[in-house]
Amino acid sequence: MSIVVAYSADTYGRAALDHAVRLARKDDVRLVVVNATRGDSLVDPRYAGDADIAAVQADLEADGLEVAVRHDVVPDVADAVLAAAQEEAADLIVVGIRHRSPVGKLLLGSVAQRVILDATCPVLAVKP
Amino acid sequence: MDLLLEGFQQALTPTNLLFACLGVILGTAVGVLPGIGPAMALALLLPVTYSVGPDSAIIMFAGVYYGGMYGGSTTSILLNTPGESSSVVTALEGNKMAKRGRAAQALATAAIGSFIAGTIGTVLLWVLTPRVSDLVVKLGAPSYFALMLLSFIAVTTVLGSSRLRGFIALFLGLAIGLVGTQTGQARLTFGDAKLADGIDVVVVAVAIFAVGEALWVAAHLRRKPLEIIPVGQPWMGKQDWKRSWKPWLRGTAYGFPFGALPAGGAEMPTFLSYVTEKRLTNHPEEFGKGAIEGVAGPEAANNASAAGTMLPLLTLGLPTTATAAIMLSALTSYGIQPGPLLMENESDLVWALLASLLIANTLLLVINLPLAPLWAKLLRIPRPQLYAGILFFACLGAYTVNFQAFDLALLLLFGVLGFAMRRFGIPVLPLIVGVILGPKMEGQLTEALAISGGDVSTLWSEPVAVVVYSVIGLLLTAVAVNGLRRPAPAAPVTTEEKELVER
Amino acid sequence: MSTHVHTREPGEPRLVDKAQYGMAAFLVVAGGYVLLDALGLDDGFADQPVQPYAVPYIVGAVLVLLGVLLGVATARGDLPESDEGEDIDLTQGTDVVTVAMLAAVLVANLALINFLGWAITGALLFVGATRALGSRTLLRDVGVGVALSVGSWYAFYVGLGVPIPAGILDGVL
Repeated sequence: MSIVVAYSADTYGRAALDHAVRLARKDDVRLVVVNATRGDSLVDPRYAGDADIAAVQADLEADGLEVAVRHDVVPDVADAVLAAAQEEAADLIVVGIRHRSPVGKLLLGSVAQRVILDATCPVLAVKP
Repeated sequence: MDLLLEGFQQALTPTNLLFACLGVILGTAVGVLPGIGPAMALALLLPVTYSVGPDSAIIMFAGVYYGGMYGGSTTSILLNTPGESSSVVTALEGNKMAKRGRAAQALATAAIGSFIAGTIGTVLLWVLTPRVSDLVVKLGAPSYFALMLLSFIAVTTVLGSSRLRGFIALFLGLAIGLVGTQTGQARLTFGDAKLADGIDVVVVAVAIFAVGEALWVAAHLRRKPLEIIPVGQPWMGKQDWKRSWKPWLRGTAYGFPFGALPAGGAEMPTFLSYVTEKRLTNHPEEFGKGAIEGVAGPEAANNASAAGTMLPLLTLGLPTTATAAIMLSALTSYGIQPGPLLMENESDLVWALLASLLIANTLLLVINLPLAPLWAKLLRIPRPQLYAGILFFACLGAYTVNFQAFDLALLLLFGVLGFAMRRFGIPVLPLIVGVILGPKMEGQLTEALAISGGDVSTLWSEPVAVVVYSVIGLLLTAVAVNGLRRPAPAAPVTTEEKELVER
Repeated sequence: MSTHVHTREPGEPRLVDKAQYGMAAFLVVAGGYVLLDALGLDDGFADQPVQPYAVPYIVGAVLVLLGVLLGVATARGDLPESDEGEDIDLTQGTDVVTVAMLAAVLVANLALINFLGWAITGALLFVGATRALGSRTLLRDVGVGVALSVGSWYAFYVGLGVPIPAGILDGVL
């Protein structure tokens, strides 16, 4: 039993994390925080710094949650989230989503969209 | 003075103002973007010279040069990744300042310091260029030959850590410069008529700077994103101004003369400025933790040296940095020969350029202070698209030289050479200088000997030539003493030098 | 200012960069060819005090010498100090596959450009290069590539007055 949350270092990831924490606490299950990047640009603002992610983990653990963090550079972020869900036998994935125009959807592959479509377990999509 | 006002009139026409804006924005963008420096940007922009007037092109290039210097400092401060060797020192204190939450002040002192140094440097150019031109116009071919020899020796011995590799680069460049029929007979043309006019400098420059760099980066792509420090609008408090103004002026004093020396470049003055500020500061405890003086001084030195570079370029036709080398080839492609006669033959153009330097500098301050957060966004461009874009514009540039697929083949060939040079630590600047100055040097030698009727002693018949040969002798002796292969480790290795060495 | 001095502990096996022999050999061959080419040159005109072969002799000979010196230096354990940069991670080995793919894309571009024209090969070049460098957003890359190549074609044709040959799109553009 665990909940996987796709975390990004912005308001969307923050919203997803808040909901995941609430649910994990309610059900008393393990929380897996996935923060990944493709690492193909010099700066990825959604990828949390090492210190930041450690702080997130410390905060959650101080709260008495069982937390695992996957903080990595991966070929594909959606695949990393799905793989984490598979390996941790997650029964819920939490993702943050943002509004996209139809054209935006066409041009930009969305991590949240891929996770929602390909996940084998329920997915909770959170808006900030 | 009238000439300067006329220069301003020419530089302030709407078209030229537009090109100056374009140059400053492009320059800052390439300075910020990883992997592209001002030299590469200018190489990629060389095709523009085919159809834009010389004044507009040169004005834009000046904007790119100054803008690139400034953009490089932005990434040094925010990311601790000095793109140019000249901004290595800025990163030392600048990044620490940013980490302490003083990114806005670091960017502000860099921008304002660059502006002040650039302005003082430009005014010095206004004063010095005509005077130096008057002096050097009396020099004959023998002195020129000696000066070019000096710039070859200086560029290979002063810069870089391996003399051997410096000379390898230089002679590869000279060999490339031999190609063609300029002496009446086909040299190194492989019997191909397409090589009769020699290899276009655009192709060589774009290949070595852009294609070589893109291939080299592709082979060693960094995968982990760097942590960027969020930034707001740059600003400075009263205390920051008080602590910055002296370092700005001292940095300028270091930067300009070094920029004007053959192979002076920006590394030495920025480093010297840093050491000086560290010694003179009232806040020694802050050095190493983000002292504003350590950003203000080197940044000023950096831009002042960029201004200083223009002096030998305009008066002697000698480039001292890679960027200046590309500007020289741009001028040459207009049939303009930088050098002693430039001031006489093209004084309109020179004054327009000198005026535009001030305009570019002012634009830089006006545009960049408010836009700093926007520039930081540029860093999110994914690398595949960025480097694909570089290759795209490299091919476009090489193709538009003659619209021949042959030039694209040369581009690839020299691109692979550029890759190999980066792999084996062979510096790029001596090669470009060799390609550009090699044929000119042969020309000066021919002219000198033709005048003297083949008497070789004419080569040391001018006092300037004798002085230059003595300097060359001193340089070579110093190299011989230090050993041909590598320099002796700098005698007193201070802590900051170690820090520099270890990065 | 990055003067790395590679110090070697006594007893540690001597590191030799074998690839550098290739560079040395290239220099010797290049210098040799410059000398060979210079041998085939005739005497210059009477008003040419510097013979056309004079400079090539010097350049060729020095290149050969430098190649030999580099070879000797390599054998004595001289390691090159590869170029660093803000986007370069020298801790990993050379990614030969990516470089080869990029070179292939460039070759395809120069082979096809006369037939297809820049407006098409430019886009292919951009898309091919992004793919080789690991991009996964094909649709977006094609869009950007076409916009760049057609845009640059028009920019040169209309804006700068430089007529880039249109290739098979002659009359369409």
